[in-house]
Amino acid sequence: MDVFKDWRLHMLALVIVIISELIGIQKIGMISLLPMIFAMIIGGIISFPKLKILKERNMKHASSIMTVSLMLLIAKLGLDIGPNLSHIMEAKGALLFQEVGHFIGTILFGLPLAVALGMGREAVGATYSVAREPNIAIIADKYGLDSPEGSGVMAMYICGTLFGAIWISILATFIANLGILHPYALAMGAGVGSGSMMAASAGSIIAVYPTMAESIRAYAASANLMSSVLGIYIYMFFSLPFANKMYVVFSRMFGKTDNVSGNS
Amino acid sequence: MKIMETIFVLILVSLIMAAGNTVGYHIDILSSVKAVAILAAISAIGYLIAKLPYCNKLPVIFWVSIVAIMVSIPQMPISEWVIATAKNVQFLAVCTPILAYAGLAIGKDLAMFRKISWRIIPVALVVCAGTFLCAAFIAEVTLHWEGVI
Repeated sequence: MDVFKDWRLHMLALVIVIISELIGIQKIGMISLLPMIFAMIIGGIISFPKLKILKERNMKHASSIMTVSLMLLIAKLGLDIGPNLSHIMEAKGALLFQEVGHFIGTILFGLPLAVALGMGREAVGATYSVAREPNIAIIADKYGLDSPEGSGVMAMYICGTLFGAIWISILATFIANLGILHPYALAMGAGVGSGSMMAASAGSIIAVYPTMAESIRAYAASANLMSSVLGIYIYMFFSLPFANKMYVVFSRMFGKTDNVSGNS
Repeated sequence: MKIMETIFVLILVSLIMAAGNTVGYHIDILSSVKAVAILAAISAIGYLIAKLPYCNKLPVIFWVSIVAIMVSIPQMPISEWVIATAKNVQFLAVCTPILAYAGLAIGKDLAMFRKISWRIIPVALVVCAGTFLCAAFIAEVTLHWEGVI
């Protein structure tokens, strides 16, 4: 009951939530900053080790509470899927195909940049997925976390935790405001397989298209559900081997053949 | 975390969520508590199913989604009541406490973050952007193709 009894942490969370909700949605130009983003920033400042407000133990508790509370978000989103189920089934082909985009998007965009910046085998771990918990487990199982692939996936995991939600919400607002993609397509894009990133990007799309809020949430949730159910298998049998192949290709292209080692 | 502790934590986070919902969206505290109680109940049922043998092969969030979809499909007699009651908690209010805890956990990763080369930052931003844009683009094309949009 250590986690439950960490009252200091819970009181801090309550105060952060109330302050963030009082600040409300703030618009800066094309970007709308949501209360959840303020909550993450205030929380991040409080947890800054130099301030000595929280101990390592409290931060670990916070992290496990976050994982538990994601269930509430999934429940809320599931309630939007049920009533729209027949509607969503009309788009089942799109739902299936967009998953391909989720899985290859990370590699096609991230891997060449990582190799060009001079990363070695770390690049494979860092770019084969959005590096959430199941992705760390796959790498740990195959290469071990002390390997270059392991430090790549951990670095990406931490970076995603620090900037993922904020970055993807800014990006989603920007793309939604351009008006080139339909809100449903954007919603499916938002279901990246990470609860907090999905929440942040879906929230931002809804801020641009408030009248379609329910369908946007339903599509984002369905896409996210697809990622989380199919995800682990696709990552193991498709994404990781594909990242390995592409790593060899990009290493040659950027003239870094010395990086290519055959331990795939 | 043990099963009982997880359920207690669910209830506690739900109450923080209800408080945020009342402050931010001016929904009275009783309706907010009722709404979050539904989310907590769905989560707890999904979580318990995910602990059963055979069911534990699939992630917890899969089972939570399934329970939420099941209670909200129109064929279900309680669906109207569930949806109407749960509507009182705003989607954004659900997200705020989750990211507050995510923020409070950041400190433990900062030391490790300093050790990693700066290169991971642009790579991470591009990876996140890539998965979002690539999926949204394919969805746009296939949604047109299926005649949904």
